[in-house]
Amino acid sequence: MPALSQLLLPTAWFAEAPAARQMPRTHDEDAKRRRFEADILPHLDAAFNLARWLTRDDAQAEDVVQTACLRALRFFDGFQGGNPRAWLLTIVRNSFYTWIGQRREQEQETSFDEEVHTAERAAGDPELELLRHADAELLRQAFAALPLAFREVMVLREVEGLSYKEIAAIAGVPIGTVMSRLARARRHLQAYLLAHGVGGRP
Amino acid sequence: MSCIGDGERREVQITAYLDDELDLTSVVELESHFERCPACAGELAAQRALKQAIGAADLRYRPGPDQVRRLRRQLGGGQAPPAWRVGPRLRAVAALLLVAVGSWTLGRRWPARPQVPGAERSDGNAGVAGEAGPDASPLAEQVLASHVRAQLAGHPEDVASSDRHTVKPWFGGHLDYSPPVIDLAAQGFPLRGGRLDYVGGRPVAALVYQAGNHLVSVFVWPADGPGAAPTVRTGASPTGAPAAGGVPPAGAAVASSRRGFQQLRWTQAGMAWWAVSDVAADRLDDLVRALRAELPPAGPR
Repeated sequence: MPALSQLLLPTAWFAEAPAARQMPRTHDEDAKRRRFEADILPHLDAAFNLARWLTRDDAQAEDVVQTACLRALRFFDGFQGGNPRAWLLTIVRNSFYTWIGQRREQEQETSFDEEVHTAERAAGDPELELLRHADAELLRQAFAALPLAFREVMVLREVEGLSYKEIAAIAGVPIGTVMSRLARARRHLQAYLLAHGVGGRP
Repeated sequence: MSCIGDGERREVQITAYLDDELDLTSVVELESHFERCPACAGELAAQRALKQAIGAADLRYRPGPDQVRRLRRQLGGGQAPPAWRVGPRLRAVAALLLVAVGSWTLGRRWPARPQVPGAERSDGNAGVAGEAGPDASPLAEQVLASHVRAQLAGHPEDVASSDRHTVKPWFGGHLDYSPPVIDLAAQGFPLRGGRLDYVGGRPVAALVYQAGNHLVSVFVWPADGPGAAPTVRTGASPTGAPAAGGVPPAGAAVASSRRGFQQLRWTQAGMAWWAVSDVAADRLDDLVRALRAELPPAGPR
């Protein structure tokens, strides 16, 4: 009875219920699955990257991506075209916040060293050189040290190369907020690099 | 002369300026302001230095092969094709077979050599920049699939070297033609290496470049091969200077996008070229422009 299986399957599929998997699938579902594989799966790398930066942990990133992909498949009917990568990243981000909410393991949020002292910021040539030659390892540490709200916009911008508009949509904030978070994130990064970079203060 | 704002507002403006997110009027205003205001110019220099370092570093985390396997298996549910359950090596073989069958079909549609060599290269498409939407040619799908597969398998290059004197001879030993190999590190796109791929019914060279945190695959094969069909004639100006008529130098390359990936294809130096990446379209454009400037112009054939 196709109507019934259509009703049941979308949720039953992922409940790890072996019985559900054995049920006959309709053509619609197969077509949907194929579209999902073609449109969404190529962006698994981007999904993992964002989850990894948000959780700062390999195994937890995998958990988040797993949850996100299952949700993505379930809600794939609601995907209206547009940029599939941005769509998947939105789901990854939401999955992460659900996950962190459950663990309620505080991120120290935006409170962290709010005032980075201006004097520590780049001024002369040596500082510029230091910033310019910061290596990947140091940059990773600096990114990881960013408060969550800054880290996510920074990763979406600098690693995923998304536009302010796309980032605003993913993070669910106005573009102005994206801009000011990026600016403050960069100030944090500069301060971190100057303090921890070669030749910087310990 | 008052400054554009103190502290935060200035930083936000400069951030958006460097990210190319300001409207033209603000850009012009800001640029003239930088000339007059040492404080803002200093801030600009610092932010630019930081951005440069970030752009040169690879900050992307990639899932390990085991993680990819687990994720895909779970998504596949009970219906996953058996190939996903086996090791990466078998998976690659299966993928290759699939491509081979696909290209055999393709080969039947496009004879290996056009009957009038070069005829396709002078078709009416020359100079068309930026086709909207996906490229309809089956090759577009093949090169995209090849790029994605190499990344998912965590194996973007067969020979990992930024030295073109290592990469070029390596290709020489594996192909019946010798692709131009050019490092673009000076232009901000370091060469990571090369790999062999199977596209359009023949083994082809893929050069792998780093563009910030993204990888770019640049496929190259002789222009009179099977891939010649969908390509267009190169523009007159590979030098990076705007060509006559205001057509940008990459104007003769055909751009398309599908599923969040950008593609650019063109012919030059007797070769057909396809660049594929999930990097932003303008960055891919920059890379292709830089690459084309290094290649000899396509002479009349």
